[in-house]
Amino acid sequence: MTDAAVLTGAAGALGRAITDRLAAQESAVVLVDRDRAVEEVAADLRARGHRAVGAIADLGGPDPAAAVLEALDREGWIPRVLVNNAGINRDARAMTMSEDDFAAVIRVDLVAPARLAEVLQPRMSDSGVIVNVASRAALGSFGQANYVAAKSGLIALTRALALRWAPRIRVNAVAPGLIDTPMTAGMPEEVLNKLVARVPAGRMGTPHEVAEIVAFLVSPAASYITGQVLLACGGRSIAP
Amino acid sequence: MPAVEVIEAAREVTLDEVESALVVAFRRARVALNNGRAVVVLVREEDLLGHGDPPAAAVAGALVGLVRALATEGVRNDWRVNALATTDAVSASDRSEWIDRLSDVHGASGVVVRLGQLHLGRLSV
Repeated sequence: MTDAAVLTGAAGALGRAITDRLAAQESAVVLVDRDRAVEEVAADLRARGHRAVGAIADLGGPDPAAAVLEALDREGWIPRVLVNNAGINRDARAMTMSEDDFAAVIRVDLVAPARLAEVLQPRMSDSGVIVNVASRAALGSFGQANYVAAKSGLIALTRALALRWAPRIRVNAVAPGLIDTPMTAGMPEEVLNKLVARVPAGRMGTPHEVAEIVAFLVSPAASYITGQVLLACGGRSIAP
Repeated sequence: MPAVEVIEAAREVTLDEVESALVVAFRRARVALNNGRAVVVLVREEDLLGHGDPPAAAVAGALVGLVRALATEGVRNDWRVNALATTDAVSASDRSEWIDRLSDVHGASGVVVRLGQLHLGRLSV
């Protein structure tokens, strides 16, 4: 049987960086996204000699794990790694945010990772690893009550799952700060400059830098680390 | 109407109930703040540390995140929204006293007060 890594949000900028890194390190990868472009990402990996399949799934839907399980069963792969990277934003000030937008972000960014972990855990091989992609915003962020709540919940969930499934499965989180992606590239320049000015590192992080942390956390090099959250924010979380 | 809205996380919650529990908390907090009332969120320290069931941890962590987010937005409006994490060893009177303090103090918002000793020697963001 082949061990596999399952990665959600694989078609996005951060997901693609993590995909490249995991494909180089793991025997096989299942790439999950609601965007059909994930099939192209998987095809590109196969063209480069990796074992990869795409699974199109709406993590906000009623059964977010179905497509993942179907892909694993079809290939006969055993999940060793789960990276819960998928997330959505529905930003607005708290007093004008709709309850639907609040709920949608909770559903995709918090409940779906928990559900995927719950479904995959019994199938995971010993020395299994889960990495939840949280956010520095969990410490507080303007106009993101839904996102902050979801990511803060995801960090607490990480601790609970780590304790529940130790020592068989390690569960950790990475909390990126401002990362250079198409989303940040779409921000007005003056807004982006203000955000970067608050980062002691003096720049945005790159998807590659976050991918390296994920790769470390799933690797044997991190075998004594569980239940932790690693802030990758260029020092923003300690800045005045 | 009391000057404080106390939002207490349920002791037992399933994964299916996480979303609705948080939406209700969000709704109640907004109404209270909109009416000039303080908000105090009560969570179990065990859940915040991840010692309890995972869905309960998710809710506790999310409620603390909600407190931080609302406090961040409410600086100019003097919103008072804080969290109180307690263990079962904390008396009801101590808990009540801290709810009063957190709801009545100006200049403190987004604060998580942790009662009991469970947090000692443990790390939680």
